[in-house]
Amino acid sequence: MQLTKKYSEEELIKRLQNEDQSAFSYLYDNYAAALTGVINRMVDDEQLAEDILQETFVKIWSNFRQYDSSKGRLFTWMLNITRNHTIDVLRSKGYKKQLKISDDENVVSNLRDKSSYIERFDSIGIRKKVQALKPDQKIIIDLAYFGGYTQEEISKEMKIPLGTVKTRMRSAILELRKLLLF
Amino acid sequence: MNKETIISSGLLELYVLGETNSEETELVIMLCNKYSDVKLELENIELALEQYAMGHGVVYPKGTKANLFTKLNLTDDTDKIAIQSAPIAPMRNYRNLAAACAILLLASTVMNVLFFSQAKKADDKIATLAQKMTVIEKEEAEEKESLNVVRSKYSLPLKMNACDIAPKDADAKIYWLTNTGEIFIDAANLPNPPNGMQYQLWAIVNGKAVDAGLVMYKNGKSLRLQQMKTFGKAEAFALTLEVEGGVAASKEKPYLITRL
Repeated sequence: MQLTKKYSEEELIKRLQNEDQSAFSYLYDNYAAALTGVINRMVDDEQLAEDILQETFVKIWSNFRQYDSSKGRLFTWMLNITRNHTIDVLRSKGYKKQLKISDDENVVSNLRDKSSYIERFDSIGIRKKVQALKPDQKIIIDLAYFGGYTQEEISKEMKIPLGTVKTRMRSAILELRKLLLF
Repeated sequence: MNKETIISSGLLELYVLGETNSEETELVIMLCNKYSDVKLELENIELALEQYAMGHGVVYPKGTKANLFTKLNLTDDTDKIAIQSAPIAPMRNYRNLAAACAILLLASTVMNVLFFSQAKKADDKIATLAQKMTVIEKEEAEEKESLNVVRSKYSLPLKMNACDIAPKDADAKIYWLTNTGEIFIDAANLPNPPNGMQYQLWAIVNGKAVDAGLVMYKNGKSLRLQQMKTFGKAEAFALTLEVEGGVAASKEKPYLITRL
């Protein structure tokens, strides 16, 4: 299975490096939902979220030559672009990311609430598989991965010492890998 | 720092989350290029988070893609690409599979031809049998009718006796249904007529011989019981040997005769 995944990703990357439009279309169809999910975690404004998604894909298309597969998987690269662009846009509009995603004191409940009214898109049942994650583990992953929170921000948000953020993060992701069999 | 320490430190996780500074980033890339197990560990972290993100995807607005493609001046032809080209190893399996399929197809074709010819033979046999069956059924129906004629309470059996010109043991029976006037003849005990000749039955009504029909032969055999013309009344019946096709008025002497 992993072989299929890797090979098809290589194929996709090769096509995208050759500016294959249908490969880009395929890329959009396969990853837009996941990237939209990330943007929606940080942005309340639907129109703004849509603009950000579009701009993100413009960046992906026009900067594709900068992608270097030896530095990581395609999705990791795309997610970084998405997250960074979202943070940039929010910042340029005068939002602070932590303020935006935590209007109230409880950033976690806000994250949860936001994702609850959005139409879910989980064809492979991931959410069910990760239910066994402890709340703290889920929160730390969500803050960093979806929210782009730095270690300092996580430390402040979760009220844990800065020095333990990294190890907590690792154990949370290890638990996630165990649940998803990676 | 050795690679185990790096792995257990959580640096790879931070790298995937985009949380490493440039020095740390360099270190991770260097280690991944140097150690395949570090690279594998990194990939597994990426895959887990990737799946996690996929599972938290949301349905995005439909028009966005079209807008994007217009903006980039691109054509959206997703259909052409359902790429996911099969990986190399399974490809071999497909090749084997294809070969197996080809062999099966060939075998199946041969079997088809065989079965087809067998089926055709069987069909022919069935057709023949069906034909025979029809004949048998028809014969059976005729038999049944014959029996009904003989058994009918209105049936008047008349034995025709041989005249001078006929062999002594030649005879025929007439069954006359008195309610309907229908006449049947059983000519099984008659010698076959010579070539070009045919037996003709006459009813004698008011002293005059009236044609009552020809005795038919099928495959050289007379019918078990053959229906002749219908008569309400008659004094006698006579059978003559005439030229094939019969005559309107007989000039021959009677072959068999019965009187009421």
